[in-house]
Amino acid sequence: MSDSPITEEQPPPSLKREESIASSIPEEHPQPQSLSVQPNSKVDILLNATGNVPIMKKRKWAVDANKPISWIMQFIHKYLKLDPEEQVFLYVNQTFAPSPDQIVRNLFECHGTNGKLVLYYCKNQAWG
Amino acid sequence: MATDREVLRIVWDGQIPAVIHADPEEVDIQQPEDFYLIFPRLSYLPLVSDKVKKYFQKYVNNQQLDAGNIWFDYNGTPLKLHYPIGVLYDLTHREDEGLPWRLTIHFTKFPEDVLVKFSTKDILESHFLSCLKEADVLKHRGQIISAMTKKDHNQLWLGLVNDKFDQFWAVNRRLMESCSSNGNGSDECFKHIPVRLYNEDGTFTQKLISPINETGQRRTLHEMLEEISNTDKQAVAVRTHGVFVHEETPIQWMSEHLSYPDNFLHLHIIYKEI
Repeated sequence: MSDSPITEEQPPPSLKREESIASSIPEEHPQPQSLSVQPNSKVDILLNATGNVPIMKKRKWAVDANKPISWIMQFIHKYLKLDPEEQVFLYVNQTFAPSPDQIVRNLFECHGTNGKLVLYYCKNQAWG
Repeated sequence: MATDREVLRIVWDGQIPAVIHADPEEVDIQQPEDFYLIFPRLSYLPLVSDKVKKYFQKYVNNQQLDAGNIWFDYNGTPLKLHYPIGVLYDLTHREDEGLPWRLTIHFTKFPEDVLVKFSTKDILESHFLSCLKEADVLKHRGQIISAMTKKDHNQLWLGLVNDKFDQFWAVNRRLMESCSSNGNGSDECFKHIPVRLYNEDGTFTQKLISPINETGQRRTLHEMLEEISNTDKQAVAVRTHGVFVHEETPIQWMSEHLSYPDNFLHLHIIYKEI
């Protein structure tokens, strides 16, 4: 993982259940919503499983703000070792599916809350 | 002077004359004649290229004929299939090239690294609805679009696909209603303005932009330009639908009248280096 733009911020929690993982995530960077992201910086994203899809042990990642959404989709696909024909769908705040070529910074600027961007992933279309 | 309602109609009727050329490398025997047509500015390339496709596919060797592989370029720049045509034109067309807008159609070698594939119109439809949802999240916390029925969503899409202004606006006007939840009872505005700010290179930035400024007045385009300028470059002008927008225009008014059907303002920002 050393050459990956996604970096570990904390050792992966050994807890199994999603809820307990959620409660164990420290609020490291409480930020106002409108805080602008500097060029070449990273933003925190929180990946939540939804529907019939495996849960990721580590949910919080720091991602290069210039990465496109398709890159996160591929990352989840690889991380969960999904079959090649399986598709990953991503949603912002359980509302809309961002375009694969949308960059993380734009979503974070407009839809980030408490210093992070909350994304939901699944294998079937969830919120259309 | 046009009334505000007439502005919607004028924007809707915007068109671009175009000519489509075949990729010589894909043609089997003889190079076909060019294909002339008129693009609606507000539509998307996959929605208006059925006839073009049908015409050219007779001439290309049909080993890999797959509708999902079709793409276009202008002067070597691949054109995004999910950007409104008017946005593509305003970003790429060079004035000195004149009209019609000269594009090349390709049936093979889809450039997957730069273009997103929309193999069916259904996928483009869900992209369009996602844009509407995102826009409504910014304007009304998503409350209006989520209260709509599947039939309303359909009507928005079909209104665009079939170029039916009244059908589209019968539903879209609900998405364009303001709410007074800004703590500013006298002047009703959206919570934020859904806007994409395009750079020269075709990339865009999205930011949270409020239609109201710090003094409680309607924020003008000029004020927004000042806000997005930085120490390196100053935003000096804005073009959309092929016209430069007057700097004193309130951005709330722009959002209500100059947004594309996806409910976003697509603004081409002209910067001046400092």
